[in-house]
Amino acid sequence: MENKLQVRNLRISFRTSNGKVQAVRDISFDLAKGETLAIVGESGSGKSVTSKAILGILAGNSIIESGEIIYDGKDLLKISEEDFHKIRGDKIAMIFQDPMSSLNPIVRIGKQLTEAMLLKGKARQRESRSNFNTYLKNLEKAMIEADASNDPQKAAQISQNCKKFDKFEFKHIELESAYNKAFTAADETADDIEKIAFEFEKGSISRGADDRINDIVKQSRDSVNEYVVKPSKKDRVYSLTSQLKAQFKKSKKTNKFDDTVKTLYELRDIMKEGVSVEAPNFFCMGYYLTFSDKPLPDMPIDQLNAYLHDYIDKDFMLAFISDAEQALKHSSEVSCENMKKAIAELEAAKPVFAKENLDRKECLEAHKHLSAVVSACVDKLDINKDSLTFTFAPSLKSQIDSYFHAIGANKKAIRAHEKDQRKFDRIVAKGKKPNWEVADAAVTDLELIKANIARLIDRLIDHYDALLANYDSRNFDNETVAVIDYLKANASGVVDKVTRRIAKHRAIKLMEEVGIAEPHKRYKQYPFEFSGGMRQRIVIAIALAANPDILICDEPTTALDVTIQAQILELINNLKEERKLSVIFITHDLGVVANMADRVAVMYAGKIVEYGTSEDIFYRSAHPYTWALLSSMPDLDTNEKLEAIPGTPPNMIYPPKGDAFAPRNRYAMAIDFERQPPMFKISDTHFAATWLLHPDAPKVDPPKAVVDRIARMKSKRGLKDE
Amino acid sequence: MSNQETLLRVEHLCQYFKAGNFVTKAVDDVSFDIKKGEVFGLVGESGCGKTTTGRSIIKLYNITSGNVYFKGVRIAAGIQSYKDAIKQAKKDNIPDLDKFIAEQRKLIKEAKNDQKNCDREFSRQLVAELKEKYAPLLEKATGAEKTKLEAEYKNELRKAKNTKLVTQIQMIFQDPIASLDPRMTVREIIAEGLIIQGERDKKVIDQKVYEMLELVGLVPEHASRYPHEFSGGQRQRIGVARSIIMNPELIIADEPVSALDVSVQAQVINLLNDLRDRFGLTILFIAHDLSVVKYFSDRIGVMYYGKLVELADSDELFAHPFHPYTKSLLSAIPLPDPIYEKARKRIVYNPLAEHDYSVDKPSLREVCPGHFVQCNNAEYERIIKELEANG
Repeated sequence: MENKLQVRNLRISFRTSNGKVQAVRDISFDLAKGETLAIVGESGSGKSVTSKAILGILAGNSIIESGEIIYDGKDLLKISEEDFHKIRGDKIAMIFQDPMSSLNPIVRIGKQLTEAMLLKGKARQRESRSNFNTYLKNLEKAMIEADASNDPQKAAQISQNCKKFDKFEFKHIELESAYNKAFTAADETADDIEKIAFEFEKGSISRGADDRINDIVKQSRDSVNEYVVKPSKKDRVYSLTSQLKAQFKKSKKTNKFDDTVKTLYELRDIMKEGVSVEAPNFFCMGYYLTFSDKPLPDMPIDQLNAYLHDYIDKDFMLAFISDAEQALKHSSEVSCENMKKAIAELEAAKPVFAKENLDRKECLEAHKHLSAVVSACVDKLDINKDSLTFTFAPSLKSQIDSYFHAIGANKKAIRAHEKDQRKFDRIVAKGKKPNWEVADAAVTDLELIKANIARLIDRLIDHYDALLANYDSRNFDNETVAVIDYLKANASGVVDKVTRRIAKHRAIKLMEEVGIAEPHKRYKQYPFEFSGGMRQRIVIAIALAANPDILICDEPTTALDVTIQAQILELINNLKEERKLSVIFITHDLGVVANMADRVAVMYAGKIVEYGTSEDIFYRSAHPYTWALLSSMPDLDTNEKLEAIPGTPPNMIYPPKGDAFAPRNRYAMAIDFERQPPMFKISDTHFAATWLLHPDAPKVDPPKAVVDRIARMKSKRGLKDE
Repeated sequence: MSNQETLLRVEHLCQYFKAGNFVTKAVDDVSFDIKKGEVFGLVGESGCGKTTTGRSIIKLYNITSGNVYFKGVRIAAGIQSYKDAIKQAKKDNIPDLDKFIAEQRKLIKEAKNDQKNCDREFSRQLVAELKEKYAPLLEKATGAEKTKLEAEYKNELRKAKNTKLVTQIQMIFQDPIASLDPRMTVREIIAEGLIIQGERDKKVIDQKVYEMLELVGLVPEHASRYPHEFSGGQRQRIGVARSIIMNPELIIADEPVSALDVSVQAQVINLLNDLRDRFGLTILFIAHDLSVVKYFSDRIGVMYYGKLVELADSDELFAHPFHPYTKSLLSAIPLPDPIYEKARKRIVYNPLAEHDYSVDKPSLREVCPGHFVQCNNAEYERIIKELEANG
């Protein structure tokens, strides 16, 4: 599966007045597309810090010591704030834990909901436009290089074709935009009418009914379009709406709604009819209207679509596709050649970074050279960006910089340490017993940095080797189709214009979706008028409003009760399915994890202690901390005393020497206090960091509460299956 | 269980809030008993009136109508129902109108009196008991012993006068951060109730505070610290210590573990369980986490929009829920089992589709011993039939 997000060797600490708190200590994980990864742990285990690092909103006193967060060909730890604006909220959205503090108290709910949609809508349009233009330009260049480098006539032909594509895409955009606007207007009016007519039939008007009637009038007039509400019905719609206004005024006085409801239903039927009409293929139609000089033939929609499709294929599309395929092949061949060269260069550069003491000038030169070589390997026509290639140069640079910085800093740190040590010795020599100890010198391990650089280079070489080996199995037919789809998707991204009214309707729909009653009234209220659960729903609605790629949920349902929690979880699950969202779900409630997660990472004291699929974690958990978490939560059949985890998490200013969980661990062995356990592999998907998995360790069974529960749940399921 | 003494009786409790012309019926006609020594769980979604019920019982609000009896004494009474009755009677113009109105007015007067003076009665009683106890002792004693005894008597008397019946009900709040004053030390927080009650002896106060701290799993050194120096679980322990120092008979625990981590949650629940066994506490446990409520409570009441819709022993309720809302609530509980979870179907509760209450009004009825369901006649018959079919 395609990895959306990769976190590698992330280390984050915080400067405080008491010392450096090591919040996250060397964690790595991947997030695949359409997958939910749950991060579980107590408060203070570094779950939230990790998620904030991904979103680039760490507190000011944070230090990112090392690591990479790779998303979409970028390393999120090294890009500028301006670049982050394009990602934060738009591509990666977050649902915060505390609904009290994450809403602006002096801005109305409606504004807060639509703000992001309007802002991001424009940015998205711009981005789609620029994506489209750049890609088409690259394609044109590649086409010419591939097929017509010595043939100016052919080259001109290709250039013209590309221009043609651009031009009729414009027409396509125009048509589709008008259609979309009318379609949503009709669809939403039909919905609105249903609701308001239902209220009228019961004889009650809620507050804001005037606004809603006005909305219906405006919207239904907007819905007139060739392919939605036919222009022939335009007059009827207009007369109905003006009639509706008058009737509503009258019926408000008399409190009799029969006429209004009748008008509303007629209007609704027109809208519904409009919505039910099949949409034509605007892509083909755009081409036909732009280049054929003839009016559209008069035939039913499905025949029309077939006709148009045929026309565009014969006239333009087949040639364009074959050119595009040539271009793709050519471009990937070039990049493969470059990769082969790059591998050799990388191998050659290895000794530069493997010396006893690195030479600054030499290193920087090598970096410059390697960046040029590696960036030549980028296949500009590849839709999926190759993250490793893109992040190689900045990662290498930051490692080199930190190496030379550390040389100076280490000297200072050692001097400071020696000073402290002398002071300590003096006090001891006087015969006193000081109640403090000399802290170890804060020395950065130069060898570690060198190892990191070597690993970086090796990783890229391996990656290129794999790509070259897979070259023969690439299917260029499919890739060409994907390219055309990509261009189309970007073009329709330009179409997707968000006006204020559309934003409002979307917001109200979202509010309904997340379970807020009377959204029309609520839309105009301030956050203080909402209860905690309601506020959390608003926060979720805001996060979803921008249609993100990755959704980070930081304990989104902790403050909510079960039914609403279930609704919210279902909502997130549905959205995940629909939009192929990747979700990082942070929580301490294991019941919720079982519901949501595909994979689970259990964190303790800044480290991932167990990592696996949710079945692995719940049925075959291997780490004592996971056992403790599982046995400390009651379920519906628990009667015996709960096994609480004794004590509290360690102070991360002075992280313990061995396994951080050892002091609270019933199964701790002597080695747990001495050395940190490595990650032991249990199966292909399941890893745990505990010495209990070492071949020499005594065999330990999970606590009774956990084993009992698994057996009980099994029997329960068995009964259900029958 | 049924032969136990009833500690708290709530009758037709209504709590309305007015905002302009709009009346929010936060709690609407809720009745239940809590027996001595049991844990009574109250569940429901946010905004359904669980917390309001708890706060009405402890007299943080003046209730709109209904009665609350604690140890047989009416500690809270509302008058709206009598007023409504008078209005209705005037409208219907019933015979003996004057007599009826006079009766209702008398009830109103009594209710107002009880609402205001229930504590006075109680302290009067305490004072009388003290007098009875000390009078013979004082008579017998002479010299230095007498002065000592007199001082002790005075001290006790002052405390008795300040003691309120309602202090025997204590509350643990939901948010351990917001419910502790950040400018008071832990000692001040825990001792506040004692001081208000009239205890002036520093030694006694300190000793009691230390005792409580040790009881809830903290150490005496913590007494001089401030709340922000503690973790969430420890803060909740301070909240627990503050409530049990008054020697309460009933504790209203308003979502005491909702804001805590799983591991800490278990610590606090175990603590409450220990205290309950040790002091024979009665607890009204308000929460929305059904697994915890099921684990902790003997009986459970389910609330929905201000109404109590179902009330039963916890095992009974989870095994045989009758009200559709309870069914929907139970179907929403997440369990730590991925395969089960992924197959779990949530039942959606839609009151308009589920019930037809246009003619036949619902009320809380006992369908089998100890199991009450809010239903109307038709639903009642259906449930009875269902019960008979299942044996």
